[in-house]
Amino acid sequence: MSVLINLKNVSKHYGNFCAVKRINLNIVEGEVLCIIGPSGSGKSTLIRCINYLEEYDGKGKITVNGITVKKGNNLKNIRKEVAMVFQNFNLFPHLNILKNVMLGPIRSLKVSQSNAKKRAYDLLGKVGIKDQADKFPFQLSGGQQQRVAIARALAMKPKVILFDEPTSSLDPEMVSEVLDVIKDLAGTGVTMVIVTHEMSFARQVADKIIFMDEGVIVEEGSPDQIFDDSKKERTRIFLKSVLKA
Amino acid sequence: MLLLPMDLYSKDINNNIIVGANIGNVPWEFQDSDGSYIGFEIDLVNKVGEQLKRKIKIINIPFNGLFAAVQSGRVDLAISSINITEKRLESVSFTQPYYDSDQSLTVLNNSKIKNLYDLKGMIVAVDTGSTGDIWATENNEKYEFGEIRRYEGLVPAMLDLVIGRVAGYISDIPALLYYTKDKPNLEVVERMPTGGLYSMMLRKNNSLLFEVNDVLIEMKRSGELNELHKKWFGKFAAKNSSTIKILDIPKSSGKLNLNLTETFLNKRVFLETYPMLINGFYITIQLGLLSILLGLIWGLLLSLIRLYSNAFLRFLVKTYINVFRSIPLLVFLIIVFYAFPFVGIRFSPFNAALFSLVIVSGAYFAEIFRSGIEAIPKGQFEAAKALGLSPYHTMVDIILPQAIKIVIPPLTNNCINVLKDTALASIVALPDLLKQATQAQAIAANPTPLIVSAFIYLIFLLPMILWVSRIEKRYRSGKQL
Repeated sequence: MSVLINLKNVSKHYGNFCAVKRINLNIVEGEVLCIIGPSGSGKSTLIRCINYLEEYDGKGKITVNGITVKKGNNLKNIRKEVAMVFQNFNLFPHLNILKNVMLGPIRSLKVSQSNAKKRAYDLLGKVGIKDQADKFPFQLSGGQQQRVAIARALAMKPKVILFDEPTSSLDPEMVSEVLDVIKDLAGTGVTMVIVTHEMSFARQVADKIIFMDEGVIVEEGSPDQIFDDSKKERTRIFLKSVLKA
Repeated sequence: MLLLPMDLYSKDINNNIIVGANIGNVPWEFQDSDGSYIGFEIDLVNKVGEQLKRKIKIINIPFNGLFAAVQSGRVDLAISSINITEKRLESVSFTQPYYDSDQSLTVLNNSKIKNLYDLKGMIVAVDTGSTGDIWATENNEKYEFGEIRRYEGLVPAMLDLVIGRVAGYISDIPALLYYTKDKPNLEVVERMPTGGLYSMMLRKNNSLLFEVNDVLIEMKRSGELNELHKKWFGKFAAKNSSTIKILDIPKSSGKLNLNLTETFLNKRVFLETYPMLINGFYITIQLGLLSILLGLIWGLLLSLIRLYSNAFLRFLVKTYINVFRSIPLLVFLIIVFYAFPFVGIRFSPFNAALFSLVIVSGAYFAEIFRSGIEAIPKGQFEAAKALGLSPYHTMVDIILPQAIKIVIPPLTNNCINVLKDTALASIVALPDLLKQATQAQAIAANPTPLIVSAFIYLIFLLPMILWVSRIEKRYRSGKQL
């Protein structure tokens, strides 16, 4: 298994505040990586550095598939490989569901209109909302919207999908429908980096878990190692507090 | 029929006689170096006041506004070298005349134009609705003028003559002889005998008419009027001229009394003038729509520069927007039209108006677009970026369609403002709807064309205004469009 994403000494400051501190990390192809940790621990900031929605500090370096992530012409090639699913879905409200899914391939991958349409229908079928293709985002439930967002990400045929707390904005009864879609993807070989608060989901789906706190990686390991055999006290305290709830 | 006690308006509480005059019309009524009003006709009305033992109060009104001012009762009496014409007599009254006048052509001394035939295909200047305007319009076919451009008085017309924007100026000869006598670069090259007679204008059947006329009879009899002629023109009047001879009060062949509807919505005047108004409306629409289209493009460009360019350009655009939101459009338009030629930039009236409207409205459009773009959630930009969309496609596919929808009400309001502001182009002699209406009302000496033009603006703009308020209501109720 080859390394797909490499982070070397990556930090991110907002003024004097340091959100992410000197992170070193390898993500291998096909891996499902879950990042857990308390709010404000830098999880989202870290994955937003990978597709350069956040400009990380100059001393660090991120590569995706061997290409350095930085401002410039290569950025659009990076973003063709790295798709993202947001906490607030961020569907385009003025476009219908079908067009939301078609836009990326048409504009960035120069796919023809008819091919993009065919693929969009396939993906909407895969996430179970084919019959809503002509509707607009505001006509769908939160769970349905997030499934469209996943279809939109998949339409780019990315090497990796970043999930930024994909179920945090959802009503409880809709969480499972979205998690089920993500679980199905885990078997398809696509690399996934998932920031999540759903511990049982993380344990079930992840190949590797990272626990972050105050901008640093406190511990990393397999789900069993982290959940049952944690070496760090901070990890154990955190898990105890969230699993009790 | 409606009949209002219109005399109520003209009765000054101090029993003054209110006189409307187009100040600046040398040597009839103008200002001396300390700002007091002097001139042949100023002396004349002061004499009238003296004889009638009433104080004279003078109000400065543009020539083409005098007719409505007299008829509405805003002034009792109008002076400004007003010619008696058959058309005007149908709507207003005149005292007996006191001066014989002809039309004249004034050109630049060093120009090739020596007579009227040299003006073929050239632009000639006239005063809106004046006898010169009427004469030029009637003789347009004979001399084949390129265009008759209508100004609000002698001063702006002279500015454009000196700049070279017009080739000649057709106006009353006494004023021009007086004006050019200390200006060697200008020359009166032709006299067109029109048999014009100057007189004081009053509202129909105003009892003051006979009192004023009696003073004129007395002044002719005593030779005082002839003395005034000597004072202002350096010589006595010709023996058989109206300055010497006692004449009758001119009578109209038409109806004597006009009621309110016949004054303000006169069917005959309407039928005579509506083709002019339609032409004016056509120009207003052209100017308005073109200004809006270019203003929108310019404003959008400015807003994008203000939001996304480097600090220096952002500062420039911010300054531009603040400056042009502070300058009144009229002031800017006058600068563009009358001052730019001195630095070598000569716009036609249409282009000067278009340029000013685009430059100024662009500043407002820019701020509207900016507020719309800033209202779009950050997540939309991020989702577009994450899909690898270029900045161009992010704007065109994602941000602008949403931003513009949000700002449709303020955009439409600004479009309405631009359409209304086209009326300011009258000042640079553009024959738009308002200009055509003022010209028509001066020629007919009847305010009907102005009223009709107000209705045209209303019919055109009201639906837009109603549409905007409907949309605003829908936005407030939170419904999708």
